[in-house]
Amino acid sequence: MKTIYTMGIDVGSTASKCIILKDGKEIVAKSLVDVGAGTSGPARAISEVLEAAGMKKEDMDYILATGYGRNSLEGVADHQMSELSCHARGAYFLFPNVHTVIDIGGQDVKVVQIENGVMVNFAMNDKCAAGTGRFLDVMARVLEVKVEDLAKLGAESTKNVPISSTCTVFAESEVISQLSQGSDKRDIINGIHHSVASRVVGLANRLGVRDDVVMTGGVAQNGGVVSALQEALGHTIHTSPLTQYNGALGAALYAYQRASR
Amino acid sequence: MSIEALVKEFAEVAANPKAQLKKYKDQGKKCIGVMPYFAPEELVAAAGMVPFGMWGSNDKTISQAKEYCATFYCTIAQLDLEMLLDGTLDLLDGVITPTICDTLRPMSQNIRVAMSEKLPCIFLAHPQNRKPAFGLKFTVDQYTHIRKELEKISGAPVTDEAISEAIKVYNKSRAARREFVKLANAHCDVITPIKRSAVLKAAWFMPKTEYTELLTALNAELSALPVCDWKGAKVVTSGIICDNPKLLQIFEDYNIAIAADDVAHESRAFRVDAPESGDPMMALAQQFAEQDFDVLLYDEQSSSNRRGEFVANLVKESGAKGLVLFMQQFCDPEEMEYPSLKKALDDAGIPHIRLGVDQQMRDFGQARTAIQAFADVISL
Repeated sequence: MKTIYTMGIDVGSTASKCIILKDGKEIVAKSLVDVGAGTSGPARAISEVLEAAGMKKEDMDYILATGYGRNSLEGVADHQMSELSCHARGAYFLFPNVHTVIDIGGQDVKVVQIENGVMVNFAMNDKCAAGTGRFLDVMARVLEVKVEDLAKLGAESTKNVPISSTCTVFAESEVISQLSQGSDKRDIINGIHHSVASRVVGLANRLGVRDDVVMTGGVAQNGGVVSALQEALGHTIHTSPLTQYNGALGAALYAYQRASR
Repeated sequence: MSIEALVKEFAEVAANPKAQLKKYKDQGKKCIGVMPYFAPEELVAAAGMVPFGMWGSNDKTISQAKEYCATFYCTIAQLDLEMLLDGTLDLLDGVITPTICDTLRPMSQNIRVAMSEKLPCIFLAHPQNRKPAFGLKFTVDQYTHIRKELEKISGAPVTDEAISEAIKVYNKSRAARREFVKLANAHCDVITPIKRSAVLKAAWFMPKTEYTELLTALNAELSALPVCDWKGAKVVTSGIICDNPKLLQIFEDYNIAIAADDVAHESRAFRVDAPESGDPMMALAQQFAEQDFDVLLYDEQSSSNRRGEFVANLVKESGAKGLVLFMQQFCDPEEMEYPSLKKALDDAGIPHIRLGVDQQMRDFGQARTAIQAFADVISL
């Protein structure tokens, strides 16, 4: 039987991710560029993944786009699907017992209910950036730390400085106020992680949470948020090293499904 | 006329209310702005004037109205005032300001202050207890006040005969719209969400005799078509208003048809007719009393969640697979009602999504994601 190669492209608001799959099972290559929709990110991510796989675009049997900028890939992708469907599919591939996916991306938070690998319900935030990756970016900037160091610094906290505002702008003021009062940055970071968790828990509880719970998206790489969320939800949260690629993985899996019809 | 030509005519009216207003003024008619909800337009028609719906705008930004409004007023109300201030509605001869929610009540006074001597503002306070005899009497008193104010503007008495005649005209128009909603469901391949919205929206900017004549022609054309075998998804829409073509385009992009609606700007406005016999003022009060299953109306049996069940049944009976709720930002009544609506939908096994919207939204990226994902869910 002919080998089927498919590509999933996840054009997020802050990053572009690609995955090439062989026969819907084996990850051949992956790429990630730290800029998303409306930038050179998608094109660069595609070039990089093809280069890593030693393949050409023409070698792909099917290309499927997802993410906030999925509609911008006309002429490149054969089809596009919402990232909610793709995250459900990707998480099911990585964790076959998944029933709840929490995806925290650059500008939104999504909770997906899954039955037998298929999305049956979902909830997502509106326009507000509270509890998203953007929220953490803004806080890291105010605290003069790198966003990737937030987890490590938060883990060194000895107490939780509560950040009560759900609005990113007001929370930023609150953080500045805490800094001016001499609060330890690490405790503030711990408070920020709990603030994200409380925001996400509200959304998740609207749908109902059922094990296994899987967290995807860039923010899942922040162990501080994961453990705060675990504590607030009262459920074990599973993550994967492929967490940021989960949407692209789901897109590549759907692409395989379409290519093999 | 062909279906295409008829729909185009409605769409032009819906997209150009200012031009429509000028057209009637050029004909020597007086026009009265009618804000949401439940204003007795029949009295305006009986006074020989053109009622002109005021449901905000999808093309404007709130600027001058900020001087008068708290930031948490919904954009519909704020944009109504904006249009009164920026000249869009300068040709109006008066405005009726119902006060049925906590935004419209103070807004009626904001408009009165902002318009000062420029435009007569007619205050309308519906009773909370609309069904008992004292509620009916209160409504009649309120409507009598409106009648008198309209007489001052038109310069002629509004007779009982004219009101009775207007009631007949409006009942006919409401029946035609109810018929259209059913036909739009049966022929959702032809009447797409954008077209459906335009046809219903145009009713707010046309005298009902003219509108009904055009709609009756469209209904006849649609009735002659074979019922379509729709392969896409079907939903019921709910909320105050969902007339933004850019938002509705997303429905079309993902083959989602609108089977029916629970929208204040659409079906909630023409569910109930007025009695055609007896005292016409009492008939109008009776019509308001018989309104039901509305977020804004007092329900003596609210603990039994009748409205939630009504909406759930609407979804089932229309053949839709789910409901899309357009939640206006800062609308307290809708937000407070949501848990009850959600419970009824969940109990009935009806999937739904809630989209936060306001009339100043220009980017619908997140709504697109949610609607596309919802189409996936309900197509399972």
